[in-house]
Amino acid sequence: MAKTGMERLEELKPQIYKCIHCKACRFAYSGEPDKEGIGEYTGKQGTVLYEGMVDACPAGIEYGWEAFWNAGKIWIARSILEGDLEFSEEVRDVIMPCITCGQCSAQCENKIPTVEIIEALRAACVEAGIPMIEKHDLVKRLVKDLNNPYGGKADERFKWAKEAGLEKYIDNKNAKVGYFVGCTASYRQTNIAIATCKIFEQLGIDFTLVGDERCCGSPFFRVGAIDIAQELMNANLASFKDLDMVFFSCAGCYKTITNDYPKWMTDPNMPFKTMHAFELVSRLISLPNEKIALETSIKELKSKSDARSKKELERLEKQYEIIKDIKGAIKFKPNKELKGKVVTYHDPCHLGRHMALEMEQETIENSKNLMLDMRKINKMIEDWYEVPRIVLRQLEKDVGIKFKEMYRIKLNSFCCGAGGGVRAGYPEFSLRTSSLRLDEANAVGADIVTTECPFCWRNLYDSNDLYNHGLKVYGLLEMIDSFNLLEVKENPTLEGILKLK
Amino acid sequence: MSYKLPDEKDLEAMVGIVGKNYATNNKAITASYLAKSVMGLESQIPDIVVRPKYTEEIRKILIYCTAEKIAVSPVSAGLSGGFACPTLKPGGVLLDLSRMDRIIEIDTENRYAIVEPGVTNGALWAYMHKNYPEWAPPIADGAPPAATVVGDAIDRGFSLYTSSVGPQGDNFMCAEVVFPNGDVIRTGSWALPTAKPFYKYGIGPDMWSFLMGSQGALGVFTKVAVKIYPHPKFKTVVAWGMSNPYDMQNLTLEIGKQEFGIAHNTVMVQGGNYPLVMARWPKDKVPHDYEFYKEIGVSPWWMNWECWAQTQEELDYVVNRINSMAEDFKKNRAKDGESMKPWELHPKQIASRMKKPNKIAVPYSFWEAGFLFITWYTPWNECAHFAEMYNAAMEKYGFPPVMWIASIDRCRQAICMPIICFDSTKQEDFEKVQMMNQETTEYGLKQGWLNYRPDPFIHIQAYYQSGMYWKYLRTIKKLLDPNMIMHPGRLALP
Repeated sequence: MAKTGMERLEELKPQIYKCIHCKACRFAYSGEPDKEGIGEYTGKQGTVLYEGMVDACPAGIEYGWEAFWNAGKIWIARSILEGDLEFSEEVRDVIMPCITCGQCSAQCENKIPTVEIIEALRAACVEAGIPMIEKHDLVKRLVKDLNNPYGGKADERFKWAKEAGLEKYIDNKNAKVGYFVGCTASYRQTNIAIATCKIFEQLGIDFTLVGDERCCGSPFFRVGAIDIAQELMNANLASFKDLDMVFFSCAGCYKTITNDYPKWMTDPNMPFKTMHAFELVSRLISLPNEKIALETSIKELKSKSDARSKKELERLEKQYEIIKDIKGAIKFKPNKELKGKVVTYHDPCHLGRHMALEMEQETIENSKNLMLDMRKINKMIEDWYEVPRIVLRQLEKDVGIKFKEMYRIKLNSFCCGAGGGVRAGYPEFSLRTSSLRLDEANAVGADIVTTECPFCWRNLYDSNDLYNHGLKVYGLLEMIDSFNLLEVKENPTLEGILKLK
Repeated sequence: MSYKLPDEKDLEAMVGIVGKNYATNNKAITASYLAKSVMGLESQIPDIVVRPKYTEEIRKILIYCTAEKIAVSPVSAGLSGGFACPTLKPGGVLLDLSRMDRIIEIDTENRYAIVEPGVTNGALWAYMHKNYPEWAPPIADGAPPAATVVGDAIDRGFSLYTSSVGPQGDNFMCAEVVFPNGDVIRTGSWALPTAKPFYKYGIGPDMWSFLMGSQGALGVFTKVAVKIYPHPKFKTVVAWGMSNPYDMQNLTLEIGKQEFGIAHNTVMVQGGNYPLVMARWPKDKVPHDYEFYKEIGVSPWWMNWECWAQTQEELDYVVNRINSMAEDFKKNRAKDGESMKPWELHPKQIASRMKKPNKIAVPYSFWEAGFLFITWYTPWNECAHFAEMYNAAMEKYGFPPVMWIASIDRCRQAICMPIICFDSTKQEDFEKVQMMNQETTEYGLKQGWLNYRPDPFIHIQAYYQSGMYWKYLRTIKKLLDPNMIMHPGRLALP
């Protein structure tokens, strides 16, 4: 039997009680007071000093009260566990407008998994019989009836594929690789779904769109409707179970299926491997250089005889063994329209921070000496954030774009405002947050904002429009496809792809 | 003393003063102001939270609450060190001053900054770093970035210059304070309406000192002028390791007693023992045996001198002089000279130690789930005795013996901070902490040591032993706050 929200909250009690209310979690770069920035910038949402640490909790910034910043919510959770506070609509209205971006968790020196706590708190609130806010309840009803939160007909989930000449991939029984499209790309940002399929096609990957695909459950894990989330989870697991690898273009679906499913599954072993499509593109760019770098290092280490070098040699040889036969190489074509354009990248929280923090928690869990392993964790996180940047730097080299980072990036990236049920439940706050993010893009003189999540894309696009930021918004793969930038030098093989994860 | 439990009518009155967006009795919001950690375990949920923006609003709130006999607890913005000033029983109104976050003036000629109570260490540091990079405010070292400049001051805290220039309270020149009857007074030279905040003792006698340590029990600070200091480019950290706290204490005293020159260049002088490194990690994921720490170069005890100088030549002189004094001490006067050695810090370790503000004091919850700083002042040459006594107590009660010690005013005083890492999910751990606190307080007071940030229940013993002082403190409190509304219970007043 699956866990209840209250059981999950109890399970998280030792983490909740670690909070000392230091409030470092309200800032991006809370540990970098002297970080050089870009100075003060006045945008559509006011003036922000992009130097040192910067307020970065969207709900705290919007509502101001202590309860809306993360630390306040952690103490609300503690009050609930201690019986000092009961669930009520007042509690619900404080815990719901949190985008669950995880900025707070990234700042926490006590490594408190704040997003998991807030989600468990919401689940327990729903279980306590407190009605969901109207808009969340509507979304829940839509999913129950139609398997998606947008109100699209279930049998029209892959209408875009049929229209784009990609019908042959629907329930392609021969394929061992699946593409989990997700609701946003199926019913709204179909441009992203089409771009992803076309890139797979160009790479010669035989893949399938699974006809029984339904909402991954992300919105329901986020807002605490755990019963429906688990129903969706079980249905998806049954539909995808025979595949070896499932690709994603949506950061939310990827995070939910990769990180959340195992926490709520009775058997936490996933039946298939998961990978975001942009990760594949990035690896195909970096693989040839990775092989050369490893060969060079191995050669150098072979000439040394000390114990440390031998140990390192052993490690690198193992690494080389895995990748040496993996086929696949790509580059990009020059493009006049994009040449000279300033392109920035928005790290989707679900793809960046949530995945990175999950890696951190897993390593902490398995560590015997965390003092020594912490460096490894930091390296792992840095490598993860490099994945999209490898693509962007290659675009800079081959296409001629100018890649420029915003001030708050990677673990300190500011959220687009869409997640955690906030876009559906609190649309004005959601779009203001997104506009704050676009102010930051304007501050570095960007022409184009890229991201790798259709949900971030939607919110950034809408607030760009609403607040006149004057930017273009693209999914990274969407941009590659729309401008026909991909040049395949060598196609990858299925065996090779499976080795990448 | 009995207090009125605020009702809807009182909330309406607060809304009338600050507007409907800034006063609430929403139970989720009031609960979010709890914090049973770091500096105290006695936090209670307030009945109403109010977020004023202006001094005039605070005046009106205090006049109303005095008339209605409603308790009021002010919190500067952040935490005053993990909410050192949370609401105690009987609850009442919590004043969250975080909206009063203006950096009003920076004067580099007279060397002060004027700030409101909601200005955080992080905000002031970033502002100065960007606009006045050659100057720095005396922000708390070790307090997290959301802690405030004012909170640290009235708490008699510790700043990045304290080892050199004295207690944090001494870094403040003048203040604007609202008393519970609604009167607004300005201390120091500010008492004269035309004067700049250039002289702390003003027209005399000085009222600032008696507000220090009041933790919001005598009035509400609405503005302060705090000294700023040069922020030179030439900085480093010198560290020495040793086997025992006595060698740490005595070497540091020899350097501090120089008074001029190197004693002033060493802005932060702080040390501790190896569990201070160990307890920043989860209990079950870090070696407990000293051998591991020995291997990674950590001595059982050590002392750091953070040195700031205007030129490289001056910095080299300071570093060489500390090292030569340490060599001489090791050779001639140390208890265990054999084990004394310079600690060669990696540049990253040096950078990390010099980072301000920092989160260095935060991760002690990682050990289990919760921690408490039980902080004392001792004469510097008694800090080793304190450390020995307290470490033994922590081990007796099953806690790791984590000790941090820093010099104030060139080793006139020591701030001694045992860090009690415990599991706050367990009631029995809470009880053990309180028992140990009680036992060590009794011992410490007998030695003539002072407990800093008095615990309203355990540390009240200090007032019992200072009867005449307490009598007059109560008399002054009664004069300023006849209905005793300000932070009742704190400082055992009333």
